Amino acid sequence: MKGGIVFVFILITLTSICDTISQLFLKSVINSLDFHINSVKKAFQFVLMIMKVYRVWIGFLFSTLSLCIWLLVLSKAELNFAFSVDSMHYIFIAFASALILKEKFGTTRWLGTLAIVAGIALVTVS
Amino acid sequence: MFKKSRVTFKILFFLVSVDALETVTQLCFKKSVIGHMGFQVDSLTNAALFLKYAVLSPYLWFGLTSVILTFVIWSTILSKIDLSVAVPVCSFSYVFIPLASMFFFKEQINFLRWSGIVSILIGVILVSLSSGHKEGAS
Repeated sequence: MKGGIVFVFILITLTSICDTISQLFLKSVINSLDFHINSVKKAFQFVLMIMKVYRVWIGFLFSTLSLCIWLLVLSKAELNFAFSVDSMHYIFIAFASALILKEKFGTTRWLGTLAIVAGIALVTVS
Repeated sequence: MFKKSRVTFKILFFLVSVDALETVTQLCFKKSVIGHMGFQVDSLTNAALFLKYAVLSPYLWFGLTSVILTFVIWSTILSKIDLSVAVPVCSFSYVFIPLASMFFFKEQINFLRWSGIVSILIGVILVSLSSGHKEGAS
């Protein structure tokens, strides 16, 4: 079943990418708004503001797509395997944040991200 | 422009609540379809029937409320810290779930899993610390 595993692997990569894209859209919209939240009421107002930006809905579309592919993955692979492969999601987020959102990345953050990915692989595989 | 990017205890609390709420969402969704597990979704009519059962279950609505709440808290978090900090720190659930299963269900945690948990914790601490210094003008 070598082909099956490769297929599942590709599907998981696709969910991770879709998820990363949706987070990128959300974060870029939030960055563009520059709103200070200091109460629950403000938080809800903020969300209403976000909803009015059409880019957020593109993000939602990608999360829906990601969920659909993930359901397909779960019907084909074991949960342990799926979760351990899905930890590459953190790498995608890291690269996307550095390249697209221009977040400042130091060695500490890279090391931390890698430690988390390794840790998730260990927790889910064992 | 002044922009805080520190992971404070308040933000950490928010991140943990997002994790917890996501678990609640999953449990509610699962619970809303659990009575119809053997249901074969093989045609459009059957799919509609399956959806009807799910929609009639109160758990689905609890789940959806929890999704909205998660989104509000997550947006609040993202308005305060970097995406590349928020997402890794949210991996806390991989630590909580094994520890919770150990305390509540007396599950055994083997050496590999312990090393994974320690590795995640180190990673979370490193990523949180890396957001300590202020961002440059941008």
